[in-house]
Amino acid sequence: MNKSTAIRISDLTKKYGEKTAVDRLNLEVQEGEMFSLLGVNGAGKTTTIRMLSCLSTPTSGSAEVFGHDVTKEADTVKNIVGISTQDTAVAEKLTVEENLRFMAEIYGKNKDDAARVIRDFGLEEVRSRKAKTLSGGWKRRLSIAMAVIGDPKILFLDEPTLGLDVLARRELWKIIGKLKEHTTIILTTHYMEEAEALSDRIGIMINGRLVQLGTLEELEAVTGRKGLEEVFVHVAEKEGAYHE
Amino acid sequence: MNKTITFAKRNFLEMSRDPLSYIFCVAFPLVMLVIMTLVNEGIPKEGVSIFQLDNLTGGVVIFGQTFVMLFTALNVATDRGGSFLTRLFASPMKSSNFTNGYILPMLLIAEVQIVCTGVAALVISLILGTTLSIPGILLMMVTCLPSAVLFTAIGFIFGTLFNEKSAPGLCSVIISLGSFIGGIWFDAEKTGGVLYTISKCTPFLYCTKVARATIKLDFSREAFFLPLIIVIASAVVLMGLAIVVFRRKMKADLS
Repeated sequence: MNKSTAIRISDLTKKYGEKTAVDRLNLEVQEGEMFSLLGVNGAGKTTTIRMLSCLSTPTSGSAEVFGHDVTKEADTVKNIVGISTQDTAVAEKLTVEENLRFMAEIYGKNKDDAARVIRDFGLEEVRSRKAKTLSGGWKRRLSIAMAVIGDPKILFLDEPTLGLDVLARRELWKIIGKLKEHTTIILTTHYMEEAEALSDRIGIMINGRLVQLGTLEELEAVTGRKGLEEVFVHVAEKEGAYHE
Repeated sequence: MNKTITFAKRNFLEMSRDPLSYIFCVAFPLVMLVIMTLVNEGIPKEGVSIFQLDNLTGGVVIFGQTFVMLFTALNVATDRGGSFLTRLFASPMKSSNFTNGYILPMLLIAEVQIVCTGVAALVISLILGTTLSIPGILLMMVTCLPSAVLFTAIGFIFGTLFNEKSAPGLCSVIISLGSFIGGIWFDAEKTGGVLYTISKCTPFLYCTKVARATIKLDFSREAFFLPLIIVIASAVVLMGLAIVVFRRKMKADLS
């Protein structure tokens, strides 16, 4: 099957007053790809994801999701993307099942879809528990489940395992690995081993600019360093990344 | 429309699971109804009619609606402070789905309040051996809807503009002000002077007047229709303002 371009970004820029959060970003992501965006805090990863998911308007440049412009065709784009934000975005007083049914209805799906996602994400044992009573790992799992219930063609995962213990993180990796089989995923993370384990390609952003792009092997070859963490530190130091 | 109903259902469910909703939206107004009835029983009957059951019931209905305002503000401000609304902004929901989805459950709660207050007032009237108009109580479900819209709109504006810590504080100011200048706990007209002039300049007094006139089945121009027109006009203006403020804020959040 021929794979199409899932995301095409041309000179995408976002400015907040004098500060340039994303600076002339150019990138293409293919359908079915798992792409990781790495960078220190304030590098522009989340701003990029916000623009691609129509949560923020670009200052200049353009971005297309499956050929649909994120600014001019936001309604169409919103129907084909799903997002799991840094914070767990769930309705705290609703149960797991109610949260999923709610999102299913918003995306024109039904309770059978909610049941399917509960099964796929292994949420059966907590389906009747209110979201506020869940542990961090379960909440994050629910948050991602809510992002995929509309069967998005592209899933944005913004630091999905932030603050989770190693076991909960590994559990989420398995789930993300399964999603990768049929969804294009854009992942931002601070955990190098996560990007290394899950990604097809990796982009490194420094001060709003995409300074390196490629597979792990390509990045290692370009930088002469072994392992993603070494690659990242080398690139960040070379490009003068400001770390808060 | 389906998305609006879905969102309204979610808001109603979340509020129905907050014990404070029951305490403030139902229990507190009922407690005030009982306390003020006891006060009325303990004071001389001559000259003081404000705590008589037919006056008191209408006042307590409006008092209850001020808490609907508080919960609207809290609901909207809490959502805006968290990531849940960010997720929904990235979904196919439109701004009208949000605004209507926030407003509809509050109006439902206001209706439930009227029923609870009406039933409690009827029970008290049976105990005291006084008469209270059942059609009047039922009619309040319709005639007090504009004031419910008005208070919901104020709560919506506060919830949109302020965070979950500031918004309830501002609502408390309106609750106190509304109670005084709205003439809920005393006869504003009899006070006269500056206070009555201020009362006449705010919609709260007319909300109370409509409720009281309805329960007495007094549909005269002065007692009912003029106040009702003022309440409807205020509700339309404030709700329009609330929708504009929310849309602008949503647009700013997404810029």
